[in-house]
Amino acid sequence: MTFRGKALAAIAAGTALVLLAGCTPRDGETAPTDDADAGPVELVAALPAGTAEVDEVTWALVEGEPRSLVPGADYNFVQPNLCDSLLRVQPDFGVAPGIAERADWADPVTFVIDIRPGVTFWDGTPVTVEDVVYSLERHRTDVTSAFYGAFVLVAAEDGIEITGERQVTIRFVAPDSTFRDALSGGAGAVLNKAVSEAQGPALGTSGGELLCAGPFKLASWTPGREIVTVANESYWDGAPLAKKLTFRFISDGTTLTNALLEGEVDGAFNVPPSSRSSFEASETGRLVVGPSTASFSFGPARESGAGANPMIRQALSLAIDREQYISTVLGGLGQPISTFVTPFSWSGSSAAEDYQAGYDALAAPEVDLDEAKRLVAESGEDVSVPLRVAIPAGSKELSQTAAIIQSAARQIGLTVEIDERQAADFAAIFLPDPAPRENLDFVATSGYMETPGVLAYPQLFLLPPDLGGIFNWSGYADPEVTGLLEASRTAPDAESAAEAYVAAQEIFAPDLLQVSLAGSYHTTFLNDALTGATTSVAAYASPWALHLGGR
Amino acid sequence: MTATVARQLLGRIGGLLLTLFLSSVLIFSAVLLTPGDPVVALAGGLRPTPEMIAAIKEQYLLDQPVWIQYLHWIGGVLSGDLGTSFVYRTPVVELIAPRFGITVLLVAYTLVLILVFGVGSGIVAATRGRAADRSVLIATSIGVAMPTFVVAILLIWVFGRVLGWFPVYGSGEGLLDNLFHLTLPAISLAVLYIAYTSRITRGAVVGQLHAEHVDTARVRGIPRGQIFRRHVFLNASPQILAISGATIAGLFAASAIAEQAFGIGGLGSLLTEAAARKDLPVVQVISLLLVFLFVVLNAVADVAIALIDPDSVKPRRTA
Repeated sequence: MTFRGKALAAIAAGTALVLLAGCTPRDGETAPTDDADAGPVELVAALPAGTAEVDEVTWALVEGEPRSLVPGADYNFVQPNLCDSLLRVQPDFGVAPGIAERADWADPVTFVIDIRPGVTFWDGTPVTVEDVVYSLERHRTDVTSAFYGAFVLVAAEDGIEITGERQVTIRFVAPDSTFRDALSGGAGAVLNKAVSEAQGPALGTSGGELLCAGPFKLASWTPGREIVTVANESYWDGAPLAKKLTFRFISDGTTLTNALLEGEVDGAFNVPPSSRSSFEASETGRLVVGPSTASFSFGPARESGAGANPMIRQALSLAIDREQYISTVLGGLGQPISTFVTPFSWSGSSAAEDYQAGYDALAAPEVDLDEAKRLVAESGEDVSVPLRVAIPAGSKELSQTAAIIQSAARQIGLTVEIDERQAADFAAIFLPDPAPRENLDFVATSGYMETPGVLAYPQLFLLPPDLGGIFNWSGYADPEVTGLLEASRTAPDAESAAEAYVAAQEIFAPDLLQVSLAGSYHTTFLNDALTGATTSVAAYASPWALHLGGR
Repeated sequence: MTATVARQLLGRIGGLLLTLFLSSVLIFSAVLLTPGDPVVALAGGLRPTPEMIAAIKEQYLLDQPVWIQYLHWIGGVLSGDLGTSFVYRTPVVELIAPRFGITVLLVAYTLVLILVFGVGSGIVAATRGRAADRSVLIATSIGVAMPTFVVAILLIWVFGRVLGWFPVYGSGEGLLDNLFHLTLPAISLAVLYIAYTSRITRGAVVGQLHAEHVDTARVRGIPRGQIFRRHVFLNASPQILAISGATIAGLFAASAIAEQAFGIGGLGSLLTEAAARKDLPVVQVISLLLVFLFVVLNAVADVAIALIDPDSVKPRRTA
């Protein structure tokens, strides 16, 4: 559960999920940022598995060096290959077995996990039910864990119990429609109990150890330089083809582009969209575009001020041209979206059709300056007061986003000021202390959901703070929405969960608690000698390099 | 005489220590005064509970008065404990040590380029006639106007992308490969300083060429080469040396730009990252290290000047 999520229309079709997002042919001569009409984008969720072993693959992390490799302590592309989960997110956002050969509801409030026999940690010690209980309890008892929210409906007394040599049973106070999906991500990752307890706070840091059961073992971590992982030859699902997977930290987009085009690193996710034409012209590797839940949006930062007024948000939304936004900021690698949670989030659900029907019924974003001006006039807000939008320093995409919001606002008589904040100061905006938000009206961000599920993201913005609405800074409180979202969470089956959610969405979507600007695709650049990587947003939570190898 | 030298040396060391002390206070308070809360960095991206915030503040003395925090920090630095990174949770020394080598190599490589091409072209401009002087003047005029990052982009384009002669990312493995990888970064850093050094050298050499003792030597029939080495260049060298101390220290600071552009995991890129992530202990130690290098290298340059030209240290007394 990261702080946001969105996506795009997705049609699940096995491992290699392909879909077309229509646009017009692109002009190969123009720079990608001027490329108003990017060509049809073929979305690929996973490349065909590798067939040959490779000695070493070098991967770049544009997000920079991880803070920690412990699931839930940080999000990065290293951890999902190291710590395997009880269930596994498929590239098409379906959920398959993992360390658990079976993990499902025995009755509406009892969840039973059967561990696959013969699964071992990297050092050869078997994965036991004690390790599984320890790993689950870490999140259930630690309010700072990113996965704490997934466990809130677990019974306090004897909620997680060993019920067999290879069986763990979890008892709930109410049915939980989101729990199974959550176990497919870091919330279901299994860590070795003995090593984790002995390591204490050093666990998973550059100075500490980590013992998990994933397809790659942590070999070394040289802070500031690289993280080296090597193939786990005894992995339960077969040994990886890449014998050594080395991660380098290249947070500068231009440097990353050069390193990829020169072949000095073999691949990277989230490559700069502004380099799209260089990637597409490359003879070293290829750009693969995959489905994602990621999106760019902005939302209110406090209860007072014009940002908290839904009419102002609606007016701004009507003034921003989404097609232009996508070609300018994302180099055409995205698509307009109608609300917070976008179709790829539910593409693997058995109730996907219900969610899709609800989504299709929403009004698609459109430009209407006259209506926008009317809303501003009617809002009763003092338009002479500038609106402040916070963005993180160093993000080219969000800096362009802020400039677009600014010029759209100008057209409808509003003034927008941009407040660029350093990484740590920007991160502080998302903490409980309201001080860093006091002089802000909006916060512009990008985000994604790394596991399937619809509820996790909107809950953060729509529920009252004490029920989990930790980013509900504008004080949004609609009892009907709260009731429907809770009904969806505690629904005993996927269909009734979808029904309640769609009903809630109909009410909250027009209030634009996040003004969604675009769903962005998951981008991967991979050397031509390689294949087999997961290329959808599922790479955040699944062992994406398991089938990576030569072709 | 020895007493004078000793006194001067002591005075210099005293001044050096005072400078270091004052800058350590400045660095510590400046870093602490920057907006934002270090607790965010310490919490490692998690949403800390109030208890967690209190525990973090106690552990890192953030609830103590600033002067206590300073004393604790400087006490640690003096006893060899540089502290622990807020972000990586590893000792700062472990972060800095592996990066220091590559940055030193980059600075040394750059310095060689500056000396060879800067001093060399300065001498050529001063001694090889008008045409040479003009050409060097034009080249250095362009050079001083080229910021490091612009040069870096040009070099990446020309030598990396079009010609493909040099790698444009990373620092390589092994000394030779290191040097190969550091070529473009070193050039991008050197261009500005080469131009600057060339100008200074030309001025100093021209000044000496017209000095009386050079004319005298020429009249006495001493060979040109010998005159240039003994009388012109040696006498001009203090002026060149005087800027070297500052140049080297400046290179350590400027290396951040080249390291960022070429993806080199050195000290400069660590400093910029640490500053953005509010990793105060790392920022403080690297800043102090830069000040230390600056002060020490300037002192070394001064001593070298005094050795070449003992008169330069006297005027204060004789004036």
